[in-house]
Amino acid sequence: MTQHSSRPGLNRRQLIKGLGAASLLPLVGGITPFAIGGQHAGQVVVIGGGFGGATAAKYLKRTNPAIEVILVEPAEAFYTCPFSNLHLGGLRSMHDIAHGYDELQDRYGVRVIHAMAEDIDAATRTVRLSTGSELEYDRLVLSPGIDIRWNALEGYDEKAAEKAPHAWKAGPQTELLRSQLEAMEDGGTFVMVAPANPFRCPPGPYERASLVANYLAQYKPKSKVLILDAKDNFSKQGLFMEGWERLYGDRIEWVGLSGDGRVTRVDADRLEVETEFGTVHQADVLNVIPPQKAGWIAERAGVTDDSGWVPVKPDTFESQQAEHIYVIGDASVAAPMPKSGFCANAQAKVVAAAIAASLESRPAPEAYWTNTCYSLVGPKYGISVAGVYRVRDGVIAEVEGSGGVSPANAPETTRALEAEYAVGWYNAICQDTWGTPV
Amino acid sequence: MPSFRFASHASRRGPLRSLVHAAAGLALAALAMPALANEPWQRLDAAQSLLGDSEPQTQGLTLDLPHVSEDGSSVPLTVIFDGELDEGDYIERIDLFANANPSPSIATFHLTPLGGKTEISTRVRLNETQQVIAIATSQQGERFATAREVRITVSGCLVRNGGEMPDSLSNPRVSIPSGLAAGEPGEVRTLINHPMETGLREDDDGNVVPRHIVERFSVSLNGDTVFEAELRQSVSANPYLRFFLAPQESGEVEFTWQDDSGETARHVAELDIT
Ligand SMILES: Cc1cc2nc3c(=O)[nH]c(=O)nc-3n(C[C@H](O)[C@H](O)[C@H](O)COP(=O)(O)OP(=O)(O)OC[C@H]3O[C@@H](n4cnc5c(N)ncnc54)[C@H](O)[C@@H]3O)c2cc1C
Repeated sequence: MTQHSSRPGLNRRQLIKGLGAASLLPLVGGITPFAIGGQHAGQVVVIGGGFGGATAAKYLKRTNPAIEVILVEPAEAFYTCPFSNLHLGGLRSMHDIAHGYDELQDRYGVRVIHAMAEDIDAATRTVRLSTGSELEYDRLVLSPGIDIRWNALEGYDEKAAEKAPHAWKAGPQTELLRSQLEAMEDGGTFVMVAPANPFRCPPGPYERASLVANYLAQYKPKSKVLILDAKDNFSKQGLFMEGWERLYGDRIEWVGLSGDGRVTRVDADRLEVETEFGTVHQADVLNVIPPQKAGWIAERAGVTDDSGWVPVKPDTFESQQAEHIYVIGDASVAAPMPKSGFCANAQAKVVAAAIAASLESRPAPEAYWTNTCYSLVGPKYGISVAGVYRVRDGVIAEVEGSGGVSPANAPETTRALEAEYAVGWYNAICQDTWGTPV
Repeated sequence: MPSFRFASHASRRGPLRSLVHAAAGLALAALAMPALANEPWQRLDAAQSLLGDSEPQTQGLTLDLPHVSEDGSSVPLTVIFDGELDEGDYIERIDLFANANPSPSIATFHLTPLGGKTEISTRVRLNETQQVIAIATSQQGERFATAREVRITVSGCLVRNGGEMPDSLSNPRVSIPSGLAAGEPGEVRTLINHPMETGLREDDDGNVVPRHIVERFSVSLNGDTVFEAELRQSVSANPYLRFFLAPQESGEVEFTWQDDSGETARHVAELDIT
């Protein structure tokens, strides 16, 4: 990155100042001193190379190759949360869920910087990186995903996560939980603590419970799965429960909020959790999916509200609190769209179009989004929920009559087909987002 | 050679900054203006008839609810009073309303000085995006009001509780504090299974399921009532209540739930003051 160190010489800001009222206009071709032959269509910095960020970088370049796009992401290989439950269940290797950034650089001309964004100054439109250098932006895209709200659940801090993994960001945490599951003796109990809304991937905990049960049924048939939930309702609940009964009998037990399922204290050393009304559950493997918030860099940018998430303007996903900062994916408040990889990808495309338009002072095209969340209840048993979303009365709303869930009590062939579609979906979205495997 | 720009430190966007400050100043000025006749409680008959001619204070009472809820059948709500009252006065009543629910009144709580701390949590049904309103009344007649907008993305009427509907008044659960000093406020949590049928829902055959709710919940310490709640249809299934008690002495705490069929459930616990 040394070739990109700060350049001395003409100061763009001073130049803009001199233009008076014109300084309020978008910064387009010709103004910046670094433009080559007047081709500069603006500089966009994208933070986070996950589902939202990688897609945004690619689609900005596809929309207008003249836009300078810089993607900031610390990891060289991105492990997807989608299908990480298959790794937990012993059905896929970590390698199978890793993706890299070669295609973004080589084919689309995105500049990928492997660093952490450490601070953002919305007033001067600069991003400070862990390498010490600073980047300017005309538009900034944040797709930092989630962070854990450590200690929001008593006893659950970073140290506790080494004993009772969350595995809600794919990578070492996923591998740790998998190794604990493999080491568990037959007859043990896998206890999962599920959070209240909103959180990343609403059906994710229940898919995980399913694929853990599938593994236990084969290799540790005397073992059980216990889900302690802070909710009374969860995504695709009827379909999951139907599948659990069909495939796993009573191996999976779910305790909801009104059955005293809300965990209020975790003791990771003893693999013990206590619920709101004082029931103590002993685990052999303890998976705590804790309360979450937008990735911390969003807070540094000043775009989060007191919920810890980022309110956005629904038609463009520009922050409601800071101009020129667009926030997509799990970090944003996009309900009723779920916090899914599919939605992050769809939002990224809307943002790419909106930014390209705004850099040319055109209005953003009208937005709509689609989402499908597939879940595997077993390797050959898939279910899904789908929706189409538009802006109505100033908020995002599901288009009436769109989408829906898989039929109840469907034959095995339907479930088997949906399991195949799930694999097709995974391959397609990863192809669209990163293009190449690692 | 691509033309990435890195920051030049000396520069600051002066004109933009002052614009931002000016805008912030305007917003502050708006906040400081006296309330117009446009507060949510002034637009809701049920709240107006409670308030009569009195003009409630707007400082001191807070509603804590999510800005956006993905499940309108169970939205966590906390109401807190930490305002100023005359010596010896206390909040004796709090009313909750949801202005766009089919019947707006959610619940009424009756409190005593033995509460020690005015903070109550429950879970409510919200039919659609709307204002939730709280009105607190002190023993000497001071009134406080607050409101908060909650956006609902899945209606409370459409979502049924997962799994089976619970039996009425089953599994009363109580958590009481231990190791309290005399007069120290301690948190009490209660939960009971009950369908809280609104009387508005249709079953699979299109017949209206009759209204069937827990109407009254009361708590006594050594025989004296210390907390009471009147609940209505907008309280979620399996009513949950969290509140505070600051007992002066050890004793027996009795919890009673009564539903509209006249049935009751009781739970008794021993409270120790150290
Ligand atoms: C178990 C599980 C299963 C799931 N299954 C599905 C599924 O089947 N389908 C589906 O659609 N979704 C699924 N999801 C949800 C999906 O993983 C997320 O919704 C998606 O990853 C969100 O994309 P994002 O871009 O917001 O965040 P991410 O994909 O998490 O990307 C965020 C990136 O930002 C980077 N980053 C963070 N902070 C900084 C910083 N300061 N500087 C630089 N980089 C930074 C991180 O390193 C990370 O790479 C699942 C999630 C889980 C946990």
